Amino acid sequence: MSNIAQRDAFWDKIYEIAANDRNVILISADMGAPSLDRFRKDLPTQFVNTGIAEQNSILIGAGLALKGKKVYVYAIAPFITLRCLEQIRVECSIMNIPMTIVGVGAGMSYQDSGPTHHVLEDITVMRSMPNITIYNITDSVMAEAAAEMSYSIKNTTYVRIDREAFSDIYPANTDFTSGAAVLKDDKDCYLIATGSMTHAALEAAERFEQRNLHVGVIDIYRYPINEDFLTDTLAGVKKVVSMEEHFLPGGLGSAVGEIILDNALPVKLRRLGISHSDGFCYKYGGRELIRRQYGLDKDSLDRKIEQFLRD
Amino acid sequence: MSAVISGLKNKSYELRKRVLDMCVKAQTGHVTSSLSSVDIMVALYYGGVLKYDPENRHWDGRDRFILSKGQASPLLYAVLADVGFYDTAELDRFAQQDGIFGVHLQWDVPGVELTSGSLGHGFGVAAGIALGAIMDRELFMTFTLLGDGECYEGSIWETAMFAAHNNLNNLVAIVDRNYLCVTDFTENIVALEPMEDKWRACGWNVKRVNGHSIKDILEALEFVRSRRSHKPLVLIADTVKGEGIDCLTNDPIWHGQAPRGRDAERARVCLLTRQNDE
Repeated sequence: MSNIAQRDAFWDKIYEIAANDRNVILISADMGAPSLDRFRKDLPTQFVNTGIAEQNSILIGAGLALKGKKVYVYAIAPFITLRCLEQIRVECSIMNIPMTIVGVGAGMSYQDSGPTHHVLEDITVMRSMPNITIYNITDSVMAEAAAEMSYSIKNTTYVRIDREAFSDIYPANTDFTSGAAVLKDDKDCYLIATGSMTHAALEAAERFEQRNLHVGVIDIYRYPINEDFLTDTLAGVKKVVSMEEHFLPGGLGSAVGEIILDNALPVKLRRLGISHSDGFCYKYGGRELIRRQYGLDKDSLDRKIEQFLRD
Repeated sequence: MSAVISGLKNKSYELRKRVLDMCVKAQTGHVTSSLSSVDIMVALYYGGVLKYDPENRHWDGRDRFILSKGQASPLLYAVLADVGFYDTAELDRFAQQDGIFGVHLQWDVPGVELTSGSLGHGFGVAAGIALGAIMDRELFMTFTLLGDGECYEGSIWETAMFAAHNNLNNLVAIVDRNYLCVTDFTENIVALEPMEDKWRACGWNVKRVNGHSIKDILEALEFVRSRRSHKPLVLIADTVKGEGIDCLTNDPIWHGQAPRGRDAERARVCLLTRQNDE
């Protein structure tokens, strides 16, 4: 198991692709990374720095894409989605001009930087628009695969990258085309998680297992959610808990709830995430401490999940 | 006046009448925003500035024209029909149930490069296309027409700095400086002047022209493909919102509505009188 940063796994693969295809253009809104330094040095004609100007970065990207370029636009996640949302809406969604938007800092992974750098709304916002596919990255194996997939996808893709280097949970060469995966099987109850919370879900399931409580784990890494996959997997399942480091309205839990309602699945859903009443986070001292404010730390998760399972 | 310019002026009146008819019939569309741009568009499409081919509209070597002020769509639609991208009968169906286009610009209409309506977008996309052309060593030019009110959008200035820094000398922006926005004159809302200084400060070559003198516009663009400067070029074209129809000019009430009934008749008479007075 490696623990390469998702960012490096993604950009290293893009570097490899770009070295063989001069039509691959990387637009950075003044974001750096060691893997980007190499890109800028070795492929200078394919690297564009717009400065801290996210609106322009999407517009320039759209123009380059119209000229036939494979465009990657990179910045901190809240800025490259929300600051330039209307550019994404008009160019990427309405006109369906394809590009890959790469945002680093999923959820609260810019831990001590405070609420301007946390992003708890982007999945809601980005999945509300047609013609946009979201990959909420779980580990570095998936990050590398997302880089490969984005190269051939024909519409706009938003790749949401966590700053934390988690241990890989997917083996090399995993096929990620289904958009979701059962990481631990169960017939009665599943934890359905996304991004960093998938790691928390697996750990929780492991702790429950030690106490002889069985619960499965599903990782949802692509939006819109693969509806067939979820309805098939949830056939006969009685309870599911959604887990996200994201505001509850419109996020993973909402998306799962929509599928449950639309298909009249006889399954109870409990959503764990951040409610608006919990507010923005000005706590510091690391991610687990921050999660404690929202009841998403290990102890709180265990308590809430167990209570729901026993109800 | 040369015969060529005289012919182009007649084309301007023809297009003004067409725009008025389209919008009166549909009872919608931005008449005055279109009228201020007519002479600029005539210079571009009929004055030999733009390279385009209605028979081969996806031709790689075509110049790209991006109408960033998408509210002037009736004008561009009229021009594109007139030069042969589609049947002029389509103009009678402007914003109608069986038509192919509506109030703001949409890119699936033959000859249109980009959907536009929300301001501050087309200019940046035009810069991206121009950058792509330089990367690929292609010789076509990218022209974009902005509204002056559009210059309130912050993204315009993000792009302006970017385009100059990246030496996009294959990009030409024309600002339709008609001084009037939705509710008031720009200098009463938030002053846009000195416009030339703003663009120059961003690193652009700047020319100020009379936006209703086709001759001036053509002279300003005469050597546009062989400029020595590495910097992009902006023409600030002073215009009148509603130009050609005196009863619609310089009154913000006509920004977003088409004249109806007696107002429509009066507008037609105004246009005809103005043309006869030339």
